[in-house]
Amino acid sequence: MRYLLLVMITINLFAVDATLTIEKDVEQRTRIALEEGSEVYHPSLFELFRSDLKVSGHFLTDANAYTGSYEGGVVDPAQKAQEYVLKYRFDESRGAKLSVRLLKAGDGKEVFRKSYAIPRSSKMPFLVHKAVSDLNDLLKYPSIAWINRYVIYAKYTTPKHSEIVLADYTFSYKKTIIRGGLNLFPVWADSKQRSFYYTSYRGLVPTLYRLNIYTGQKQKIASSEGMMVCSDVSRNGKKILVTMAPSGQPDIYEIDLGSGDKRRITHFNGIDVGGRYIDDENRIVFVSNRLGYPNIFKKGIGRSAVSQVVYHGRNNNACDAFNDKIIYASRESSSVFGHNTFNLYLTSTQSTQTRPLTTTGSNQFPRFSANGAVVLFIKQHAEGSSVGYINLQSKQSLLFPIDGEKIQSIDW
Amino acid sequence: MKQRYKEVLLALSLVLLSGCGQPVPNMGNDSSNINNADTISIDEERYNGSNGSNGLDGNSGMYNSSADGFQSLYFDFDSYSITPDMERVIAKDAAVAQKSGDRKIKIEGNCDEFGTDEYNYALGLKRAKAVKDMLAMQGVPSSRMVMVSYGESNPACTVQSDACYAQNRRVDLRLAR
Repeated sequence: MRYLLLVMITINLFAVDATLTIEKDVEQRTRIALEEGSEVYHPSLFELFRSDLKVSGHFLTDANAYTGSYEGGVVDPAQKAQEYVLKYRFDESRGAKLSVRLLKAGDGKEVFRKSYAIPRSSKMPFLVHKAVSDLNDLLKYPSIAWINRYVIYAKYTTPKHSEIVLADYTFSYKKTIIRGGLNLFPVWADSKQRSFYYTSYRGLVPTLYRLNIYTGQKQKIASSEGMMVCSDVSRNGKKILVTMAPSGQPDIYEIDLGSGDKRRITHFNGIDVGGRYIDDENRIVFVSNRLGYPNIFKKGIGRSAVSQVVYHGRNNNACDAFNDKIIYASRESSSVFGHNTFNLYLTSTQSTQTRPLTTTGSNQFPRFSANGAVVLFIKQHAEGSSVGYINLQSKQSLLFPIDGEKIQSIDW
Repeated sequence: MKQRYKEVLLALSLVLLSGCGQPVPNMGNDSSNINNADTISIDEERYNGSNGSNGLDGNSGMYNSSADGFQSLYFDFDSYSITPDMERVIAKDAAVAQKSGDRKIKIEGNCDEFGTDEYNYALGLKRAKAVKDMLAMQGVPSSRMVMVSYGESNPACTVQSDACYAQNRRVDLRLAR
């Protein structure tokens, strides 16, 4: 039922969001059929395979969910219009095991076979993501390894209480790793996703910790009166950008994790937050209200000049960056209260041109993937909340329902 | 001899059968990408942060989510300016602070839900800072005051109405514990 709802919501939202319907040349994508050969049919597996293939932007998937024998080279005549048939078999008698075979639809010749296993069957979605990622690599398409990554997010539960949760990118797998108290702003500390930074409110002042998700080892990084948020991590993981307020004034600092040195980057008597490294990490973009409303600015680290990046909108209060690409959320409600309309826009440090990525609903928390090819965001609409993904190159997008969770911050 | 032959045959059969199960291929360097290792789970429910009274003040009938005799201060949308109306409340809070000995006073900045993550926390902090500065001007030592911004994480009211949003754009005061 959940997956049926997912498909319906996805189709509906594509229909109303004109900017997301621009299709890449259909002929460039590989046509593929899915056939399950397990003893019992698993509808969730079909939907996972289908969404993985779709969000890659490299495949056109047959809408029919076929079942048949896993072994052998017989191809259903109905599948002959496809280029490939992906046969898969799932077994959870001991942990979870997924076996996949890729056959040429024309002659049934096997071109790929592999099995994947994981001790906990709850992590089954990661098996599908890995299989599709491998399949994508086999056909020499640009990498979609980002689908294998954990998403980490904080969600509010009750006043002054939150949880930090791990999920796969579809939110089919979820595990709460910190519950109780108020713990916010999780950000991955390293490219391998072994540790993350987060802000704890357990003490008198907010404190930034780094926590290893496998060993539980926790290290205090810094604390600050008022607020303490890790906004970005350098590529080598040795420096972080934080917003903190040692004298009550929220400004952006860079912390050298090796020496512990803190370097103040912004000096403004208003609000400067959300620093993100750009270019070769010698400059940052950030959100500031220095023009009287929240907007996106950039400055060199160690330099005094600040320049405006976005010349559009009157309330641009969140951004993310990847090299010279910048994505930001702009509040576009006609009234102060009432419906919240936030849309996402893509721009660049090299240009003043802006490209809208969404046009309807409330779209917030934009986050680039590790390779900058895909943008994650949270969409709120009349039917509830969803986590969304926009493939910037193929213009493909997908939404997955997240059951009304009130997300505070997210990273992947 | 016949018994030895049977034993050899049995051993050979076991070796051959052990190869019949479909092995899980070694995923090589990619195995870390499948997120197969168990992750931790921590429960911090021991946290005992007080939410204050979160209700109407018994004496004044005004809404108040501060504690220990302090009164909350309310701000306009996206604003951290102290208005003349607030000065009377701040004077009362300063008097309460003076009577509370040397105990630290926690000044908590809060926001409505109409912002996004970091910006909202900075806005809450600017509100707390504005109140702290005014209390300092009234003679409360800065060393006795500590600020924390809770952004939109601590709503006093969760109904979707202008009146409710106004209750969340506030600064609460309480004695630090």
